[in-house]
Amino acid sequence: MHRLWNRIDFAFSSAWQNFWRNAAVSIASVLIVWVVLLALGSLLLVLHSLDQIVALEKTKASAISVYLADTTPLSSAMDFKLRLESDPRVTGVVYVSKDQAMARFRQLPALDPSVIDTLGTNPLPASLDVTVKDIRDLAAIDQEVRSSPLVDKSPATNYEPNVIDKIILLARVAGIAGLVLIVGLTGLSVFIIMLTIRTAIYLRRKEIEVMKLVGATDWFVRWPFIVEGLIVGMVGAVVAVLIVGFGYRPAVVNLQSVLIFVPLAFDPYYLRLVLAAMLGFGLLLGSMGSYLGVRRFLKQ
Amino acid sequence: MASVASAVPQISLQGVQKTYPNGTVALRDVTLEIPKQDFVFLVGPSGAGKSTLVRLLIREEKATAGTIHIEGQDLSRLKRRHLPYLRRKIGMVFQDFKLLPNLTVFQNVAFALRVTEGALRHLKPKVEEVLSIVGLEGKENKYPDQLSGGEQQRVAIARALVHDPRIFLADEPTGNLDPATSWEIIQLLLQINARGTTVMMATHNREIVDVMRRRVVAIEGGQIVRDEDAGGYHAPALESH
Repeated sequence: MHRLWNRIDFAFSSAWQNFWRNAAVSIASVLIVWVVLLALGSLLLVLHSLDQIVALEKTKASAISVYLADTTPLSSAMDFKLRLESDPRVTGVVYVSKDQAMARFRQLPALDPSVIDTLGTNPLPASLDVTVKDIRDLAAIDQEVRSSPLVDKSPATNYEPNVIDKIILLARVAGIAGLVLIVGLTGLSVFIIMLTIRTAIYLRRKEIEVMKLVGATDWFVRWPFIVEGLIVGMVGAVVAVLIVGFGYRPAVVNLQSVLIFVPLAFDPYYLRLVLAAMLGFGLLLGSMGSYLGVRRFLKQ
Repeated sequence: MASVASAVPQISLQGVQKTYPNGTVALRDVTLEIPKQDFVFLVGPSGAGKSTLVRLLIREEKATAGTIHIEGQDLSRLKRRHLPYLRRKIGMVFQDFKLLPNLTVFQNVAFALRVTEGALRHLKPKVEEVLSIVGLEGKENKYPDQLSGGEQQRVAIARALVHDPRIFLADEPTGNLDPATSWEIIQLLLQINARGTTVMMATHNREIVDVMRRRVVAIEGGQIVRDEDAGGYHAPALESH
């Protein structure tokens, strides 16, 4: 117990001294770790949001809203509804009145209700929400309903066949670009931590010589440098974790007010996973850098 | 068989050769046996191989051929992870002291115990004990640059003693010291030897070797050219020829 404590105490106090003895290099390596983890955390959160959007769009994919002109009498609308329901491709039709549409609209997140009130009259059209058995039939139904005089012309339906593909493509591009960036930065940060450790070893060369002379074990000599690498990874990670941890919710709220129709959501459970991953990755970077720094030097 | 084992010399070199990677042959066919509690001067010109011999004994270098045994342990078979424990059996001092300038006298000596995870509960009494052996009581809180050369070498000797070594190697310990101080260091080594520790001292100091009349092993060109008890720095044969 006593010996273990001595070992820990020696490793940590030496590592802490090392860190400040070449403060400029240490801080540079903390900064690069910080940048890597910030990029990693942001990328994971962005990709997760895109995933959420895709999932939501997919549930909407088997339905289209057919917007009705304000001049359409309710009876004609009901006839139209019956006609659509008799179509074998259709599984269900729901009538949504102008008021119901308004009520839904008010429920969108981050939308100021007073803005809606200033509109005076309700600009939203009534609609028939048509659900189909097979998504591939949507295009044909979209074409047919557009010819009906009952249907509003601007826009006629909310049918947008490419939106999911576009989001998936965006997620893929963002994922690949982010991954390339993170791999590059990871290599760079491991390299810089390695240089930091080499510098620390150089500054301690006399002590290391004496340690080996009086019979210190290899691991006793190595530990302070491994710990120094872990401290670099840890400090960089903690700063990045604080920024992402406290910045995620405000970022989502701000984006929601800009992208009103995009279903962004704050996901605290996923955030916790991301923060844990960042911390773990920071420690991994630190230990890899110090392992490489220590490996060759202390061999003989 | 037990009596045979006790007759085994503490340090034994058999046909040892050392060739450095650049092709320099530093030692060739060196055979040497040193019994327990011996006091040996290792003499010879610079570059003769004295330092190489010392480095082989603490396995800072490995012999190219031949075998070296310390207390019956074959150094060529010693695993790297067991090396620190060999070093703890051997106290070692150098011409340049190798003290850490940012640590006090006390801390320099304690450092050797800390980094080897020695009996920490007894760290302070142990450090005080070895400092009193070398006569540095009252200088515990001085830094190396506040001490004379002789005092610095005493700190180094104290540090080498914290593990109660059974072998004490001194590589030119008086090389940087004036004659009076050199004699003080020799007295200290004799005192350590009298406590039962084998002492081997590599030196250029002719006066000391001639006055002491101890065992002298002379090396030239990587070979032992003379090994005599109660010898001088130079061979008597030189005059008789």
